[in-house]
Amino acid sequence: MGGAVLVVRRRVGETIVIGDSIEVTIIEISPTRVKLGVMAPREVSVTRQETLAVAADNRRAAGFLGSGKVDGVLRMLGRAEA
Amino acid sequence: MTSTFCDERRVIRSPWLGDVEWDPKCELFFPHGLPGFEDERRMIPVEIPAQRPLVYLQSLEQPQVCFVCMPVLVIDPVFRLSLSDEERATLAIAGSAAPVPGRDVLCLGLLVPSGDTVEVNLAAPIVISLMNSCCLQTVAGSASCFRLAPDGRWVAQC
Repeated sequence: MGGAVLVVRRRVGETIVIGDSIEVTIIEISPTRVKLGVMAPREVSVTRQETLAVAADNRRAAGFLGSGKVDGVLRMLGRAEA
Repeated sequence: MTSTFCDERRVIRSPWLGDVEWDPKCELFFPHGLPGFEDERRMIPVEIPAQRPLVYLQSLEQPQVCFVCMPVLVIDPVFRLSLSDEERATLAIAGSAAPVPGRDVLCLGLLVPSGDTVEVNLAAPIVISLMNSCCLQTVAGSASCFRLAPDGRWVAQC
């Protein structure tokens, strides 16, 4: 993802608007976390970045049984028990 | 081959595990599916005694979808689970104390193929409530990856 980063300072209860139909509101701020409320059209996917990475991992995990590598993993696990 | 904790039998024809008999009482319900598999709401855990500690999560929605997992405590004996208030509500976990794996919940790590071995992200365990059989995959902010070494040990990667 390229381009400049827009930095906006906001307080609890304040909102930023993205395009015509997406609103992001600051709901709560704690020392380590910010709670955001996102209003967006149903067709817009709103996802935490780390969840996207886990989704990609899950798709690879679903292919594990088709890879023919389960026996090799079982052999490795057996070495730990030996 | 049987699913764990079964009684009233049904059968699912898995291309990976063969015909698996299962009981409705052992069905696991994922209200939100899994990331990348949001429509996979119903699964069963399958154990093959000779392959322990592996646990298979076989989808009841699509027979070709099946995950290979391991209990997280086998990978990291000091694993600690962290859940949000919303996740605790989904899993029917009362109080504010951290749920105890093995007593309140079961936690499984999903094996992800990586070269000739597998990796597990313990920041994204599958959590099975022992209270209501509801399940979810919780996702923490930063990854906690373990890789299976050729000697069978799990080695922290990140």
